[in-house]
Amino acid sequence: MARGPTRADDGEGGGAAPRSVLTPSVPQDIGIQAQRQRILEAMAKSCAEKTFSATTIADIVSHASISRATFYKHFANKQDCFYATADTFLLELQGAAAVAYTRSGDSTVEMVRDVIAAVLEALAADPDQARMLLVEAPIVDAEIVRRYRGFAIAALEKLLRAGGVAGQAQANPEIAFGRAKVLITNYVAADQVEDLGRLLPDLVYIALLPYAGQETALAQAKASR
Amino acid sequence: MSDAKDAERPKLTSVGDPPSNLHLWKLPRGRHGLPRELVLQSQRERLLAGVVRVTATKGYQASSVADILKEAGVGRETYYKHFKDKEDCFVAANDALVANLETGVKGAYEQPGSWPQRVRRGLAVTLEWFAASPEIARVMMIEMGTVGPIASSRFRETFSRFTALLDDGREQIEDAPDLPNLSSIAGGAVFARVYEEVALGNATNLSHLLPQLTFELLLPYIGEEAAAEERAAAEAEQAEEARASQAQP
Repeated sequence: MARGPTRADDGEGGGAAPRSVLTPSVPQDIGIQAQRQRILEAMAKSCAEKTFSATTIADIVSHASISRATFYKHFANKQDCFYATADTFLLELQGAAAVAYTRSGDSTVEMVRDVIAAVLEALAADPDQARMLLVEAPIVDAEIVRRYRGFAIAALEKLLRAGGVAGQAQANPEIAFGRAKVLITNYVAADQVEDLGRLLPDLVYIALLPYAGQETALAQAKASR
Repeated sequence: MSDAKDAERPKLTSVGDPPSNLHLWKLPRGRHGLPRELVLQSQRERLLAGVVRVTATKGYQASSVADILKEAGVGRETYYKHFKDKEDCFVAANDALVANLETGVKGAYEQPGSWPQRVRRGLAVTLEWFAASPEIARVMMIEMGTVGPIASSRFRETFSRFTALLDDGREQIEDAPDLPNLSSIAGGAVFARVYEEVALGNATNLSHLLPQLTFELLLPYIGEEAAAEERAAAEAEQAEEARASQAQP
């Protein structure tokens, strides 16, 4: 997909030389990346409006204001585009979590709380993408959910182990992830993303339950209010 | 329109009060089952069963009203007497299925016993119900999400209706935790797991999950120790059933 360091004015036709003076250092890559990003946003938007299964390439093309040919330069088909959209947003969430983690200098439990808060904020900031990842992805391919569940659990476990919080609790982490997903998805699907922050105590409880047990998880949820 | 619907309602619930009747809604395995007209009495019922079968075969988006008519053996005019469009028919079918499941779950949950015991029995019925028909499970869980906004909000309503059954737990249990979303946190464990198994095509195995899901469902209300006791009860009952079915081939 990358086209190397060709300039934005290349191929614009014969005598368009002055443009290269006005925009001398914008590699075509940036234009292509922006175009790709527009397609991903269009995919999320159309999914939010009419679900993934009802979305057509025509919908995406019209939302992104690009040609059909341009769409196929980036993606093989609708499914391919959906995976890219989900993955890109997932990376964004991971980024938000990582920033919150490095900023949070407090106890392990507080780190968990800050990371969860940051993810909720990132979800709330982009309702279409949040809906796509939480509501549509499980319908399109259950494997996507298993993949991001894997990421989330591994990260949480690492954090808790490092802080000595992970003990021998009996609840299953995958089930805990399912609880969190259902709780958040119900808000996102009901267009209540702005209220996601309210779920912080519940999510602290859910995250700690498999590692610290019921009693500690409840106490920390109370402390997160 | 809504009047006609309401007039039909009582019949609808009778479609499958005993869960055994639900086999009528499943995809026929070979076409040698009972003559459909004997059992699906009203045209409306035929249409509801038809939309479920067509959706299970082709997916909601790819199926048309014409497919439903063909499957149900009902004319277009009759169809539009009952339903506004495809979505209307699909949502009505989902409602009928949910009503059937709900009747079963409530029946088990309302039997005398300790609260954890009653929750376990309600859960057992839920898992068996979905396991009994993977196609129906798929239509209700996965296809329901591809329909549109009306179906999506109906889906959430259904989830809250089922978790609301658990809210009973707050009164039944001494010092139940004070989390506002407690019932959703508890019920979400079951929902997410069932959803995943259905999506992956493993619905027939759902009953095996009863012990683990009993534990996870009760845990937020009663803590590890008491939830583990109920899990052990579920394991013991399953072992007993396995012995009984071996003894009687």
